[in-house]
Amino acid sequence: MNISSSDPETEMEMDMTPMIDVVFLLIIFFMIITDMSQKDLEELELPIAAKATEDKPDPNENRPILNIPHTGVIIVRREPLYNPELDDGKPEPYAEVKRYLSTAAEMMPQEPLAEGSSVMLPDDPLLVRADESTLFKHIQKVLELCGQEGIQIWKVQLAVSVPEDDDEN
Amino acid sequence: MSMIQDLNNEEVEMEMTPMIDVTFLLLIFFMVTLKFKTLEGKLSAYLPKDVGVNSTEAEPIEKVEVLVRVRVEGRKVTPDGLPYVDETGKSRFVWNRDPALGEVRVLEYSVMNKKTNDIKELAQTLKRIFREREKLMPDGKKVPATIDPRFGTVYGDVVPVLDAAIDAGLTDITFVGAYDETVK
Repeated sequence: MNISSSDPETEMEMDMTPMIDVVFLLIIFFMIITDMSQKDLEELELPIAAKATEDKPDPNENRPILNIPHTGVIIVRREPLYNPELDDGKPEPYAEVKRYLSTAAEMMPQEPLAEGSSVMLPDDPLLVRADESTLFKHIQKVLELCGQEGIQIWKVQLAVSVPEDDDEN
Repeated sequence: MSMIQDLNNEEVEMEMTPMIDVTFLLLIFFMVTLKFKTLEGKLSAYLPKDVGVNSTEAEPIEKVEVLVRVRVEGRKVTPDGLPYVDETGKSRFVWNRDPALGEVRVLEYSVMNKKTNDIKELAQTLKRIFREREKLMPDGKKVPATIDPRFGTVYGDVVPVLDAAIDAGLTDITFVGAYDETVK
């Protein structure tokens, strides 16, 4: 101790500035990442499928995402749009889901039904994410809504987990 | 004492330690809360295009229809394979598909009047049907298929069927409309 306190060279202080810079950068990075990845996707227990194609969202694509946990609640961007428990009594329990889907459909690029047909259909897909134990009737109801006039989304993607995730569990 | 005097003479330096502490805490917080986005896959299917509009051409092609029925519901387990004890039904569960954990969920798949409980057998059947149908199809036309999940089926029951169908080469897959609660 005596030596160190008397030796002027060891009193040199570590320069903290670069470290603080890096740490701040890391913080900003994590803040942005957490915000982006958790907006649309709920945490769900997805079933495994071997033939799944990797899901790389296309930035040009206007893809609505519906999350349906096993309770049957339909969640879009953290907002529950339909709750089966509050279903009865309302004249149109799926009104909010319908409204969301039709606004989403309007924003999609339109393609003719067949060559030369005057009927235009939205050309982007809908992504349905559901728990493994979600009753399929909840998903079927959504698919039924997709076919309704003013929506007519006909491309559907079902979210699954890829087999590599197996090792994790 | 000499050190204190030295310090007093020096320029006032900002005390960095608390800030660094807070910054590190923030960093650790964001790192921990970050749910690493697990690679997610997707299976594509198509809904009937011509719902609510007049179809311009008749559909002469018979579709490959796969019926999915629940035969034995099986028991509920947690996603980690532990017994499911929650009575409120709010927490997450999956239907047991592992014989080591007790009663297994049994499904019955029927396609072209051929019934099976084995998804692998269904995959074989679908492959065979696809090969037969493919030859009969006019050029560029896809073999259409329909999945008809019945009462009680869950998402996890339907996905393997869709998976098997895609594997067999059937790419134009649609779903039959909402099931009737009374038809089993």
